[in-house]
Amino acid sequence: MSQSSKRLMSRQFAEDAAEEMITSRSFWADARGRFLRNRMAVVSIFMLLGLVLFALFGHAFAAWSYEEIDWAVLGKVKTEGGPSWENGHYFGVDDLGRDLFARVVQGSQTSLMVGFVAGPLSVMLGATIGALAGYYGGKFDQMVMGLYTIWISIPYIIFFVVWQAFFGRSLTQMILVIIIVNWTAGLLIVRGQVMLLKNREFVDAARMLGMSDAAILFKHLLPNILWVIVIYTSLTIPEVIMAESLVSFLGVGIQEPNTSWGALISEGARTMTFGTLWQLAFPAAFFVIAQVSLYYIGDGLRDALDPKDR
Amino acid sequence: MLNYTLRRLLAVVPTLLLLIVVSFYLMRLAPGGPFTSERPLPPAVMQNVLERYGMDEPLHVQLWTYIKNIVCCFDFGPSFSQKDRSVNDVIAQGFPVTLTYGFWSAVFVLVCGVPLGIIAALRHNSFWDYTMTGLAIFSQIFPNFVLAPIMVLLFTLSWGLLPGGGWNGGQWQYVIMPAVALGTSYMAGVARLTRGSMLEVLNAPYIRTARAKGLPERTIILRHALKPALLPTLTYMGPVFVYMITGSVFIDIFFSTGGIGQDFIDGAYARDYSILLGLAVLYAMLTFVLTLLLDLLYAWIDPKVRSQL
Amino acid sequence: MTGADPILSVKNLSIRFRTGDGMVYAVNDVSFDMHAGQRLAIVGESGSGKSQIALSILGLLARNAEVEGAALWKGRDLLAMPAAEINKIRAREIAMIFQDPMSALNPYMTIERQLSEVVELHEGMSRSQGRARALEVMDAVKIPDARARLRAYPHEFSGGMRQRIVIAMALMCRPALILADEPTTALDVTVQAQIMELLAEVQQAMGTAIVLITHDLGVVAGFCEDTLVLYGGRVMETAPTRALFRAPGHPYTRGLLRAVPNINDPSATLAAIPGSPPNQTHPPRACPFAPRCEDAVTACFETLPMLEPHAGTASRRACLRPVEALT
Repeated sequence: MSQSSKRLMSRQFAEDAAEEMITSRSFWADARGRFLRNRMAVVSIFMLLGLVLFALFGHAFAAWSYEEIDWAVLGKVKTEGGPSWENGHYFGVDDLGRDLFARVVQGSQTSLMVGFVAGPLSVMLGATIGALAGYYGGKFDQMVMGLYTIWISIPYIIFFVVWQAFFGRSLTQMILVIIIVNWTAGLLIVRGQVMLLKNREFVDAARMLGMSDAAILFKHLLPNILWVIVIYTSLTIPEVIMAESLVSFLGVGIQEPNTSWGALISEGARTMTFGTLWQLAFPAAFFVIAQVSLYYIGDGLRDALDPKDR
Repeated sequence: MLNYTLRRLLAVVPTLLLLIVVSFYLMRLAPGGPFTSERPLPPAVMQNVLERYGMDEPLHVQLWTYIKNIVCCFDFGPSFSQKDRSVNDVIAQGFPVTLTYGFWSAVFVLVCGVPLGIIAALRHNSFWDYTMTGLAIFSQIFPNFVLAPIMVLLFTLSWGLLPGGGWNGGQWQYVIMPAVALGTSYMAGVARLTRGSMLEVLNAPYIRTARAKGLPERTIILRHALKPALLPTLTYMGPVFVYMITGSVFIDIFFSTGGIGQDFIDGAYARDYSILLGLAVLYAMLTFVLTLLLDLLYAWIDPKVRSQL
Repeated sequence: MTGADPILSVKNLSIRFRTGDGMVYAVNDVSFDMHAGQRLAIVGESGSGKSQIALSILGLLARNAEVEGAALWKGRDLLAMPAAEINKIRAREIAMIFQDPMSALNPYMTIERQLSEVVELHEGMSRSQGRARALEVMDAVKIPDARARLRAYPHEFSGGMRQRIVIAMALMCRPALILADEPTTALDVTVQAQIMELLAEVQQAMGTAIVLITHDLGVVAGFCEDTLVLYGGRVMETAPTRALFRAPGHPYTRGLLRAVPNINDPSATLAAIPGSPPNQTHPPRACPFAPRCEDAVTACFETLPMLEPHAGTASRRACLRPVEALT
């Protein structure tokens, strides 16, 4: 976890936030206004949108499929495999003579899919556990916290490698293991928020009206902590993409011929000694653009939603 | 303090047990194993092999033997994939390598990160300050697996200054790039955190008290502000160590240092149960020890925490 | 007041802060003299600029502050002094007692270290000499079992004890002047009385001059022979404390006195001053109190009254209305 979430962890933040939510009805409208005034964040939204469109429709523009080997350039990759409009390899070819443009499109699909599916899902899992622990407290809470402390002190790479080695290296498995490893995402913050909110009058009132615990959690507490979850998700998505890329770089991620940004960067790094720099540059550029835009979007969301300094 | 240390060490035991048991069953119950190959071994040979590694016995018996050997003799058993080598041999060969550049990387993180953060705080809103903020964002976006190839591209392929990989007995030229590539993003994180906490501390009332005493600025920073400003950094180092261990797997592979990360990934490919499990336990123990040391250091610095131990 | 030369002479002090919302004029054209051994109270509401005056004298203002005027200490202007020079005066000749003893002490250093570093710096004492002086001073401020508590950290003391340590720290070099910025505000009422008593005792014993900065007229009454009333960063009135309490010369002072509970007549209603503190984003062009003043006339909103002696007393006040006209 980055230090950017440090303030999110603080008690002051939780109190500011709780206060803010209770007092303000136009919270989301205000936040949207603040976010849209943040130029970097808005530009980043468009960059990210561009990446998503690229991943979704890029294949339509590719002259080659991502698995096909171009025998015309194979063996001469160094001299003739570079980016070129004539032979349709806009980004050049990879070491095996496959079209890099098509492969980057495919890799973007994988990486974004992992990020936007595994990221939100793991925050959902963590938030649910955190909410239950905060709401019920007692033994359950102690157990969750104990497990949490243990879990965050174990390098996640261990689980990735063991899991991927024994359950196969498909996209589904990748997403699954990310969610499992990341079950702690957002847990502490949501737990703290719920502990703070459950003692508020409106929760007491709901209880007196005979509402069930589930109804209180979903109808009353969830709307009040939704924004924390939004911020946390925006921080988790780039982290998840980064984790997937690292694991794929290590060769225990996505399996050939499928690929991801990390796997492509790994191949590019391996072959750069031969002077085929485009194989590193294109995937790395996409990865960096994604990280930059996600960074600024997260930053913008935090500024827009965090009640501090307002 | 001693009491606390012992309590913490005792708490490690159930954690490690949990890790071993879960990983053990996870690996064993998954399809495939170290001796599965495209051309299956004749049943008699297979039986032979399984017996040799004690794998014909029921799982819980194997688990028990495994744990017993670790506890009594710190013996992680034989490797399945590397012939005639035990996991202990693998660790003995690779661990010192990982530990060496890991240590230098931590030194780099602190020795560069802390002063950079302090300078940025003291020269608030100056060139240094902006440089550092830029560096912090940069390093968050360029993780080690993007940074390392770029470094090799520059320092090895373009300028020929440093070797692009290998270990060579830990000669300094071979240590620099692994250590820096592993540490850069955490160095920037430490710098940013130190800057923030230093700025906060410098605004604290007790620093104004120190000024009112007529102390020179240098004494105020070193004697009054440094300790409290470093406490958040110290807390941050815990997760940093965990992440650096993760990163070391990448470094071992990318720079071919011969560290345990390489064995770990090879073990995963070969489904070498004992190497995977042994190294997982080693990684976990390493994090526990480092976090414990950090906590003790924290208690030593912060009198409020110390008095509670 | 004595006839001797003042030890501190503040002349036309103005302090303003550059902020994101423009300039804030915190202190405007404040002048006063301090004589050896004198006890002066600077009274005002929070935001009246009273703490800033003390901080400016020791050069401790925030970085965005701009200062005008002079503060002459033994003939030298403290406000124009380079850092190395003023460092020699801080704590050694002029010491400060801060408002909140919870945060004014460094939580990561022992009491001994925080006390002894003052004399090690200014008097070149060794560690053991510093410790001896620290013990002496801790005894003087009546910290029980001082020797055993030298090695303790601030969090091991109660609020009152911590304020005693802060006072001890100010006494380490036996300064000629102590600036006490709300020394009792953060404490319980019973502890407040003890601390004021201690300050008075120490002041008597050492002959130190004290500027007591407070918003609490009750604290002033028993302690200071002179009082300076501040509003909106300007001096409203300055007078011997007795005279001020008997016959306030300024409508604002009168309002302040009415807001103090009278222990002899608990049935008397407390009168709050209506309105809110002034907006200080412009330099004052008229009496800052005029908008809240029940005696204000048109002229009050147009001219800036000067501080002038009145009625042949030692008091001076900045008000256009004749005292007799005030009800």
